[in-house]
Amino acid sequence: MLHRLLSFMALLSLVWAVDVSGRIRWNDACPNFEALGPTRVTLDRQYSANIIRNGTFTIYDVPEGVYIFSVLSHDFVFDEMRVDVLADSLVEVRPYALATRLNPPAPRLLSYPMMLFPRSRNAYFVQPESFDITSMLKSPMILMMLVTGGLVLGMPYLMKNMDPEQLEEFKEQQARMAKMQSAMTSGDFKSGLSALMTGGEEPEAGPSKAIASPPTKAKGKPKKK
Amino acid sequence: MRLLNAALLALCGLVSALTEADVGVVDWHKQFVGVPLSASPATAPVFHRVGQKATRSVILTATEANVLAGLNPVNGSIDWRHVFEEDDPILAFTKHGDVAVSLSGPGGATLRVFDVLNGDLFIEKRLHRPDAGQPVKVTAPIIITEDFEFITLTNGHTVTYVTRDAESKWTWTAEDQGSLVMYTQLVSTPAAFYVVALAKSYASYTLHVTALDRDTGAVLASSDFASNIYDEPGVDPVALVNKGTARIAWYESNGIKSFALSPKLDDKPTILKDVNYKQVMDVGLAASGYLVALKTDSTARVFRLEENGTFGRVWEFDGSASNSRNSPSKYAGGFDKAGQPYITRLYFSLAFKFASAEIYSPYLSNGKGLVTGYSFPFETQNHGIIDQIAIDAANPSEMRVIGRIFLTTSTGALQLWQHDKLQWTREESLSTIALAEFVELPEKVVSLSHHADETYVDRVLRHISDAQNLPRFLAYFARRFATGSYASASSAVLQDGSLWRDTFGFKQIILAATRHGKLFALDSSSGDIIWSKMLDLGWAAEIGGAHAPFKLFVTQTVNEGNPPEAVLVTHRTSSNGITDTVVFNFNTLNGQDMGNQATRAAPMLKGIDIEDKALGAFLEDRTRAVLTLDKNLKIHRFPQAEATDKLLKNASHTLHFPVQTGNTLAGYRITEQLEAERIWAFTLTEYEQILEFIPATRGPVASYGKVLGDRTTLYKYLNPRLFVLLTQAATGTCGISLIDAVKGAEVYRATVPANAGACDIKATFAENWLVYHHYDEEFTTGQTKGYRLVSVEFYEGQGVDDKTSSSDMSAFDKDLTNLHYYEQTYVFPHGVTAMATTTTKFGITSKDLIVALETDKIQAIPRRLLNPRRPNRKLTTEEQEEGLIPYDALLGIDPRRTLSHQQRVAQVALLKASPTLLESTSLVFAAGLDLFVTRVAPSRTFDVLNENFNKVQLVGIVAALGLAIVITRPIVRNKKLRERWYA
Repeated sequence: MLHRLLSFMALLSLVWAVDVSGRIRWNDACPNFEALGPTRVTLDRQYSANIIRNGTFTIYDVPEGVYIFSVLSHDFVFDEMRVDVLADSLVEVRPYALATRLNPPAPRLLSYPMMLFPRSRNAYFVQPESFDITSMLKSPMILMMLVTGGLVLGMPYLMKNMDPEQLEEFKEQQARMAKMQSAMTSGDFKSGLSALMTGGEEPEAGPSKAIASPPTKAKGKPKKK
Repeated sequence: MRLLNAALLALCGLVSALTEADVGVVDWHKQFVGVPLSASPATAPVFHRVGQKATRSVILTATEANVLAGLNPVNGSIDWRHVFEEDDPILAFTKHGDVAVSLSGPGGATLRVFDVLNGDLFIEKRLHRPDAGQPVKVTAPIIITEDFEFITLTNGHTVTYVTRDAESKWTWTAEDQGSLVMYTQLVSTPAAFYVVALAKSYASYTLHVTALDRDTGAVLASSDFASNIYDEPGVDPVALVNKGTARIAWYESNGIKSFALSPKLDDKPTILKDVNYKQVMDVGLAASGYLVALKTDSTARVFRLEENGTFGRVWEFDGSASNSRNSPSKYAGGFDKAGQPYITRLYFSLAFKFASAEIYSPYLSNGKGLVTGYSFPFETQNHGIIDQIAIDAANPSEMRVIGRIFLTTSTGALQLWQHDKLQWTREESLSTIALAEFVELPEKVVSLSHHADETYVDRVLRHISDAQNLPRFLAYFARRFATGSYASASSAVLQDGSLWRDTFGFKQIILAATRHGKLFALDSSSGDIIWSKMLDLGWAAEIGGAHAPFKLFVTQTVNEGNPPEAVLVTHRTSSNGITDTVVFNFNTLNGQDMGNQATRAAPMLKGIDIEDKALGAFLEDRTRAVLTLDKNLKIHRFPQAEATDKLLKNASHTLHFPVQTGNTLAGYRITEQLEAERIWAFTLTEYEQILEFIPATRGPVASYGKVLGDRTTLYKYLNPRLFVLLTQAATGTCGISLIDAVKGAEVYRATVPANAGACDIKATFAENWLVYHHYDEEFTTGQTKGYRLVSVEFYEGQGVDDKTSSSDMSAFDKDLTNLHYYEQTYVFPHGVTAMATTTTKFGITSKDLIVALETDKIQAIPRRLLNPRRPNRKLTTEEQEEGLIPYDALLGIDPRRTLSHQQRVAQVALLKASPTLLESTSLVFAAGLDLFVTRVAPSRTFDVLNENFNKVQLVGIVAALGLAIVITRPIVRNKKLRERWYA
């Protein structure tokens, strides 16, 4: 499988060198040469070759050593490989993942001549965010809005069906919460907390009114429907 | 690992990628091929026509950028290009039928065969090892046979026959491989191949020819021809071929010597000496049997080799003798659709300022020959002089010839003239940008609509006439109010040709100084050329020379004064070897010369000459004066005004700058006498050399510290005088240092191993952040070999909450070197050709790293991934709160952050970022073989409405709510009333 150097090259060469060759396997990700575009393959960026139209490449005159093989493709993702060029002009190819230890070598040998598989095509773009009613309904803000809206509308009916004692308790609780909230927003944490703790002994007219008014307002709406 | 990385990125929500609709709106991309190598006929541009009936033509050329390209003659677009590696320079190319063939590398080590119309690579074959390559000079080293097999002449003495399956059929190597015999060209006839050599003999050359068998490569005959060829231009012998006959002709002792080529090489040379000649030249028609010979007065004569072997003169160009009114003539040959040859003479009339062409068609007019002449308005003050021409002709009717002339000019412009009409121009010098600066445009000023002294009646009348527009204005206002779209960070800039800045300052001028003596102003929003100016060569114009851009400064911006100005400092090297310095001062908006009153209207920029090569040039911030330092440490100032001198004297104690001289880096200050005084020197050992010094990227600093998760603060080390020094040592290591320019103190130093004896380090430094990229080949003790990206952040003192106020500390403060740093190394999958950080208006937005990758991409790397404090373990809550991400050795390339997306931006050597008016957004300019500009928002566009903000929807909802209130209010009121009555 190895292409030995031509005789006159051997005369000139001082170091034993081997030609490393391989081919690309076209697949769905990258069906042909047009899709691939001009692409170089390299061993440690020192020895390199272009992939030609029939999908093959030959890296000429590679001396003995351990190399990391990479495909410098613009649009496609390929795996790196570890290539060992051995003294007896043998070439061993092994899988290799970047940023892992190069030694010891992986036990599994890959075929030689090398076979390259385009893994995937680089996705440079994201989908533009467009107006979509379903995605809008899924957003938490909208969901919260809908729930509160539903509660506001449904509350009068709930209140109606409650017995008066419970209603009283509930109103008290609401007033307490409202007070705490207003205290919190005005920055008065202490009184807010104490309001929460004490259980709101002194219900003020303001908050309860504020809570009470929306139901009365909304009351009429369902009736009209 | 990679998956993890990607998942991490996605989780962090770091991605703010382009959508497909943004392409060409937020960015632009211009591809170039480079300036043609027009000096050698083996690489110069040439027309080629493919096809029998419906023909398609292409202009092929090899360029200085080491690109082999095919240009479309119709519109000047690039049909294809192949970018060769740096260590694989193109030696020659030729074409035939559907293929173009190139030889590249030392001695022509590699043969490549391309599809001539689309550039697909068919064959890539190594002919000899590149390290065994010898420097060669060739004129025609490739032959393509009729059945598309290739004969190559490599290394000056080896001929190889390569079949269409890329196998070597035979190889012939000259016995005498010494440097004395150098084979330069191949000739093909049906009988044999001939290899022509110039053998160096005492004081001159002897012609040596070897005939080879076409099938086996066996030597049929080898012969020396007693000749005295001297080493001067135009000595290369021309091998004429016409069907079966071939003849080699050369200039010797005022005559034209020639002999017929036959497999036995038994012809005796004959000499033609009817008049005195001085040169023979191949105009690209040698394979059709034509050559042009110049008489001693430069009158051109056309010679033809007939099919029967006779060789003689067929034409003389009238009036082609050299004279002072015209430039020297250029000659080129070409063909028409039918394959008939044409020879063109082209000259520029210095008196009338236009170019004239004469096309000689030997076959027309019943074989008597026809000459067509015309003139066209070539703009020599914009494009310099015509370096080389190539032609292609059409013969629509018997007595009519239309020529297409392709020009390469000294400023790197390519033009195609069809008859006297300019079809297109390509400014290929834009592929040689050495320096670039962004310049802001002025804000549009609304002009006054009336005079200040108008009378009452006038005003009333004006108001009435203005009121006519009111209904239209109201309608427009309502429409805009309801639906108006707002400019967003990804909206297009209006291209109306005006020079006003747009809403967000995306439209700026990019000043670009090229290596071909031309200065360009590009529109950063479209890439269009706003203006361009040639740099006058001054006294060197007579003998020839070139400007090498050295420094470019924007001395006055639109906010500081009117008009905005810039200064370009160049090193001018004339052809006699003298290098001096020239300073050009110009208006950045229109290119007008601001140097002196007399030259303002001149089409070229005229500089101010300074003797000697400037060692350094600087812009003094307060006076906005440019200072240059010559080798005698004399300071030259621009503008030369007394006011400037006074200001400089006052500011002298603060003026410090580092200058590199040989192996010494020295810091200078300016004395009150305005002379330079050395205050420190940093001499490297003889085993170490300075590669580069990189100034820090300046910009406003928004925060002086970093608050950590535990509420402690790390104060940034913000010494404004730091610069990066890259060095290479003979021991095989490379040094990266940070040096204080005033004191010469080294505040940081790192050493990394060299890669195969070379240091290819890219670094950038901004604020307190240094990033560098290198190759580490050591893997036996380390873990793996490959590229590394190192991120270093410098902080004041020795730990948290240790503040030394480094930003306004004196260089002589004891705390100058009281700092600590965090450092982290990542494995980076790719080589990097240029590096920069983004800059924004106020420096609040985080800085992304922008790198140009070897795979022709511009990539953004988020700052968060390069935080050197990324913990190498599980995150604590404090670290989570701070927004740190766990360390991962591999820094993957996220394609959604590839700024150049599917476009190729090749050989990028210069990356520059510029702030816009939007704090979130930075402009990035990449220049190399190609130009690319895009907008980057490292922290997303937080200061402007999102592109998908839907105003119609918002207005609709508000309107609907308003309507609902209007409808329900009476209902509620009625209901309340009813409740009062009936409750």
